[in-house]
Amino acid sequence: MAREVISSGNELAAKAAIDAGCRFFGGYPITPSSEVAHEMSVLLPKVGGKFIQMEDEIAGICVALGASMSGVKSMTNTSGPGMSLKAEQIGLGFVAEVPLVITNVMRGGPSTGLPTRVQQGDVMMSRYPTHGDYKSVTFCPGNLSECYTEVVRAFNVAEELMTPVIVLLDETIGHMVGKAVLPDLEEVEANTVNRAQPDPNIPKNEFLPYDVPSDKPAVLPKFFQGYHYHVTGLHHGPTGFPTEDAVLCQNLIERLHRKIDVRRKDLLDSWEEYMLDDAEYMIFCYGSVSLAAREVVDRLRSEGKKIGMFRPKTLWPSPEEKIAELAQRFPAEKILMPELNMGQYINEVERIMKQRPVALNKANGRPISPTEMIEKLKEMGI
Amino acid sequence: MRYQLRFTGVGGQGVLLAGEILATAKIKQGGYGVKAATYTSQVRGGPTKVDIILDDNEILYPYANEGEIDYMLSTAQVSYDQFKSGVKPGGRIVVEPNLATPSNEDIQKWEIYEIPLITIAKEEVGNVVTQSVVALGITVEMTKCIDRDLVYETMISKVPAKVVELNKKAFELGEKYAREALEKGPLKV
Repeated sequence: MAREVISSGNELAAKAAIDAGCRFFGGYPITPSSEVAHEMSVLLPKVGGKFIQMEDEIAGICVALGASMSGVKSMTNTSGPGMSLKAEQIGLGFVAEVPLVITNVMRGGPSTGLPTRVQQGDVMMSRYPTHGDYKSVTFCPGNLSECYTEVVRAFNVAEELMTPVIVLLDETIGHMVGKAVLPDLEEVEANTVNRAQPDPNIPKNEFLPYDVPSDKPAVLPKFFQGYHYHVTGLHHGPTGFPTEDAVLCQNLIERLHRKIDVRRKDLLDSWEEYMLDDAEYMIFCYGSVSLAAREVVDRLRSEGKKIGMFRPKTLWPSPEEKIAELAQRFPAEKILMPELNMGQYINEVERIMKQRPVALNKANGRPISPTEMIEKLKEMGI
Repeated sequence: MRYQLRFTGVGGQGVLLAGEILATAKIKQGGYGVKAATYTSQVRGGPTKVDIILDDNEILYPYANEGEIDYMLSTAQVSYDQFKSGVKPGGRIVVEPNLATPSNEDIQKWEIYEIPLITIAKEEVGNVVTQSVVALGITVEMTKCIDRDLVYETMISKVPAKVVELNKKAFELGEKYAREALEKGPLKV
């Protein structure tokens, strides 16, 4: 039995975290993301979890990483300026392989920007949220229900791949209130992924957390179980202790990439296709922009126009084969790519498609309306 | 059928709650309701709008379509001026006459009613905070876009228990003033 709730996207993200087993939240409030933190502060104590509002965003992610290392599913939440502050510690999450869910409810940027207004300016930042070389994982909900399901997925993937996962909401989807249909709680719980723990046959004093195959995530035992291992932001070998050994350092970075690459198709690739079967035109979009896009498809379909929509739910790593396949079906001049930025994901799409779709960009904090999309499509000859 | 409403005011007036109650009531009825607000980073005093869309079918884009809004209620000149263009020609507008004054051109373009809802909340209900529920009563009577009892019950479930009676009074006064305004007819140049 599916559940029906009336909620905002931000509140749904918090509800999802609880249902996915999150029992620790560390963060600092910031518009337009604060409702996630607020809701967590209400929900966590009820399930025996802990909520801490720290002195700033940096401390928020630090404490969440620490909680995760100790074995508890953890979350932090913020908006663009907070992502900038958290950048360094996100890198620690990547290299030390600490699962963490980071919800980023995007607002106008750069800097303090437009605090109460919508933008999709943090798409590339989610690909490269910190210095160094690594693969990041980013999900992007396109409706209220997905503010729940994508956060649940983020928790499971974070544990499975031992890595921080970013969920990109935006002001529109975070703040809008409406009806959402959620999967049954038993179903969510049945599919929960818990962190892999060491083989109990290996003596605790011989266990090496980073001694794993070249395409597998580290196995980090929960703290206080009798295992002794080192966690560091420095390059490290199988023991977890720092090393500058040429081979070990190269292996480490290659493994951080590979552990994600090898699971992309079966675990990460995710998208929605809407009315694409006989479509001649396609709107390629993501996040809250897809709400307007689906409305455009419905309106134009009622006028007999053959148009559909494609929307990746996983932005990073991008679903390359699928995007390449779309390039075979649609010429660039019949693909409209609306983004609430000056053109970010379009560069990734162009890289894969080897052709550049028609862009429709807006970065003034206002949403792209269905009417604006239709005007652009008419210019394109629909 | 789709009904698009817009509440506009300044930050701090509490129009968000009224929007949420309408959307919730429509969903309880088995339909779809969406509320999407736009506000500024000023804590108080910035122009605020809340779009409410009610439909029997699924609503995707959560904002009202500019130029198609059926009904707008405004309690501040700054937001009245900024957001009125979204109302369709002939659409219905309610203004708080102490805080927003429509131009003659506006009076010709739209069906505009003046109801001093903040004064009503302050003096007749006895608490200015109830203005959003006065606005709700006015809106239900003015638009007939949704079952009145359902909105009334939803309102009761959403306001704090200790102020239920006060809010009932606010809702009913809103309805009464709206009925009177409708009998009197819209503003004329």
